[in-house]
Amino acid sequence: MTALALALVIPWAGGIVLALLDGRRRLVGWLAVAVLAANLAALVVLAAQVLSEGRVEETTGDWPAGVGITLRADALGVLFAVLSSLALLTATVHEVLDGVRERVFPGLVVLLATGLSGVFLTGDIFNFYVFFELSMTAAYILATYGGTRRELGAALVFTAVNLVGTFVFLLSVAGLYHVTGTLEMAQAAERLRDVDPNAAILIAVGFFAAFSVKLGLFPFHFWLPTVYTGARPAVAAILSGGLANIGAYGLLRFGGEIMPGELTLASTALIVIGCASIVYGGVLAVSRRTSSEMLAYSAIGQVGYVLVAIGVGGEVGFAAAILYSIINALNKTLLFLTVEMRGAIVGAVFTLGALSVAGVPPAAGFIGKLELFRAAADSPAVLALFLLGSALSFVYVFQIYQWDFWRGERTGALSGWPQQSLVAVVGLVVLAMGLWPEPLLALSHDAAEVLARAAG
Amino acid sequence: MKLAFALAAATIFGTGAYLLLNRDLLRVVLGVVLISQSAVLTLIASGLTRGAAPIYPLTERDVSDPLSQGMALTAIVIGLAVTALLLVLVLRVARAFESRDIEEVAEEEAEHDAVLERRDAREHEDEEAAAR
Repeated sequence: MTALALALVIPWAGGIVLALLDGRRRLVGWLAVAVLAANLAALVVLAAQVLSEGRVEETTGDWPAGVGITLRADALGVLFAVLSSLALLTATVHEVLDGVRERVFPGLVVLLATGLSGVFLTGDIFNFYVFFELSMTAAYILATYGGTRRELGAALVFTAVNLVGTFVFLLSVAGLYHVTGTLEMAQAAERLRDVDPNAAILIAVGFFAAFSVKLGLFPFHFWLPTVYTGARPAVAAILSGGLANIGAYGLLRFGGEIMPGELTLASTALIVIGCASIVYGGVLAVSRRTSSEMLAYSAIGQVGYVLVAIGVGGEVGFAAAILYSIINALNKTLLFLTVEMRGAIVGAVFTLGALSVAGVPPAAGFIGKLELFRAAADSPAVLALFLLGSALSFVYVFQIYQWDFWRGERTGALSGWPQQSLVAVVGLVVLAMGLWPEPLLALSHDAAEVLARAAG
Repeated sequence: MKLAFALAAATIFGTGAYLLLNRDLLRVVLGVVLISQSAVLTLIASGLTRGAAPIYPLTERDVSDPLSQGMALTAIVIGLAVTALLLVLVLRVARAFESRDIEEVAEEEAEHDAVLERRDAREHEDEEAAAR
């Protein structure tokens, strides 16, 4: 069996077994961690294969090509898959160290990992929907984790809004199939060039709305603060560091590869929406006084940068969007995990994450911001907005830092050493990426090249 | 035929969207169900072709498009699963809040925010007093 098949089969089989076991037992929790680690290992092997030999493709069930569902791994897909898997693994280890409170938690996280790997590794549009729905369903139940009224209320909002989002996506899939007669991504991209622009724009708008809901962009963000502040820290980290990647990846894949013409057409609109998101998220985050609320609004602001970069387009724009999504997902995983922690190194780790969000040099966020500035170098207005957004993010993260750590507003028990060292490791990863950014830069340019080539 | 499907899907989607905006949680669930059904109808309509049943070995030249049927079946199954999930969620919310009115769920959220805000305001005043 190849790494491509293993990356899907390991978490799928593991998830089914884990769903039957009682997750509150320590051993089951560590079993889930082992399955996630195996999934990550398979993805890393696959990534190495893709980067050295180019795209890996496989048709399921020994069907002839064109009949069976194609799985394919290219630089863009594996990059997002490895990143999400890493975020899920970290959050699960964090929660297992804390003690899992509900029996379904480990199984659900592993099933979510299956869905995410599938979404990033499929070459078939309907298959994308199926894996998409698989990961969303796991996330709906995860949002109730904790089981108090706050979490239940948040989960209800999350489920209702996102279900409508996925059905809008399904409607667009139906439309795409109707106009192109194929579900293969590469083939659909080819045939879409000759499709009536009116129909294509309508389909593209559907896809855009569906992914923006996932990403929590400005006009589609209304569910996000409730959910991210209502959920437990580990769940918030999983949602913002793992699940939200579907939105960024979807916009890049469907916008950059399948519908490049429509993307260029909508470029101004995307930049405007992105800028609105940056300003809205930044201003509201400044007015918040608890770290989870600040992070929720900051998440809205940060995805704005990604959208602006996608709107700018071209290889430089896509590379900046990919790089920034990766760095943003890491920042959010790190910061959400520290939300309820206290201890000697938590403050230092929070500072690292804060520097990265604000885009200050030693942390990885600086590299992301640098690429963004490069992508938007042509328009002074966007540059000014980026500067404003960065200033706002600097204010909101360090304001919270002062309240939480200098004035000691954060109360609760001290966190154990294993948990503290876990966040310290993630913090060091963020720092290392900032100090030695070449590999990540090269990877994101490789991934962007896939899109730029497809767009011709 | 296409027009009939389009009209039916649009009507169902509209009804679903209206129910979704309702205060009663049960109606919200019904709204989601209707929207999922309109997606299924659209999937069927996306491959409307006339022909023989597409079963191997193919005996006739013109077979109808099996792909949109397969997609519709998958969508129905997924729709069923998420409806069940949503109903359980509504049941748990209704038990926890002793109400199935969405406004009461939202009210709790607003109250939580108000408490936080009052605390912040009080602290701010204390700070100012200390500064003076």
